[in-house]
Amino acid sequence: MYFCLQTNNKVNIFALEIWDDEAAKCTFYTVKYDDAETNETDLFFEKYDAIAEYKEANQELLSFVLLSIGNDHGAIDELFNRDENEVKGLPVQGKRTIENITYHFPEFPLRLYALKITNNIVILFNGGIKDGPTNQTSSLHLEWRAACEFAKRINEALQDGTIIVNEKHRKLTNYDGSDEIIL
Amino acid sequence: MRSKVAQRILAETPEETKIFARLYADIVVRVNQLLKAKGFSQKDLADKLEKRPSEVNKWLVGEHNFTLRSLAKLEAELGEPIINVPQRKPMGTTGYVTLYKNNVINTDVPYTSAWKKSKSNNKTALANVS
Repeated sequence: MYFCLQTNNKVNIFALEIWDDEAAKCTFYTVKYDDAETNETDLFFEKYDAIAEYKEANQELLSFVLLSIGNDHGAIDELFNRDENEVKGLPVQGKRTIENITYHFPEFPLRLYALKITNNIVILFNGGIKDGPTNQTSSLHLEWRAACEFAKRINEALQDGTIIVNEKHRKLTNYDGSDEIIL
Repeated sequence: MRSKVAQRILAETPEETKIFARLYADIVVRVNQLLKAKGFSQKDLADKLEKRPSEVNKWLVGEHNFTLRSLAKLEAELGEPIINVPQRKPMGTTGYVTLYKNNVINTDVPYTSAWKKSKSNNKTALANVS
């Protein structure tokens, strides 16, 4: 099933922008809708920071992303939980698959979706609360669908050369060499 | 640059939360990498630990918390340290030094008794001493 990215009346155009490039081993990108003021990853962290029940989990997840992945290890496979069964249903072609950033702790409630480009470049999306056995049956299924669509578009752009991976400088650039990437 | 939201939340995050997140990730990475290096499948490990494969899988994907006992079992089976605890040793009359145990690295260079004759450089011009 194909899901069009028209949830919440948002326009189907988004920009890829740097979310963090200060960590030692990994540059994190995020996505921002054309008509939005805030990027999707900030929306996620702000949302759960404001809910007392999830504040601590949110802080742990952020520490995990920026300190463990960003500074200590990079985006190595050991730190990414690939839900292979769910990924099979994705309309994503190529080797890259959308992945949960699962903080490796029992019954951790939050999931943040990501697309790993290399061990040193990761694109973060939005996420939510994993309250069901699968993404489709959890309350975060809309975020998961949106993440799938972002990932599909980014993968296509990588394959057709619209986005260039600059591994040396740990960054993504537009085909013309500029840093502004609109998809 | 770093997202201002991330900066703010990270600044408000208690130090213990950051330490916990990093330590937990370090252990997960270490255990998984040792398994890979030793060529152990989850079933092999489960057999060695006399556990069900599903239980070992839960450790490795993070559904079960590691306990000190489970880490000790893993360390015993994998044959390499997973966590190290620094030790404090007295130094001088009043001071202390904290010792961090590193993995023993073999730096021995194999001894060879075969001598090689060095090549003479015939191209070097001799000085005229006459």
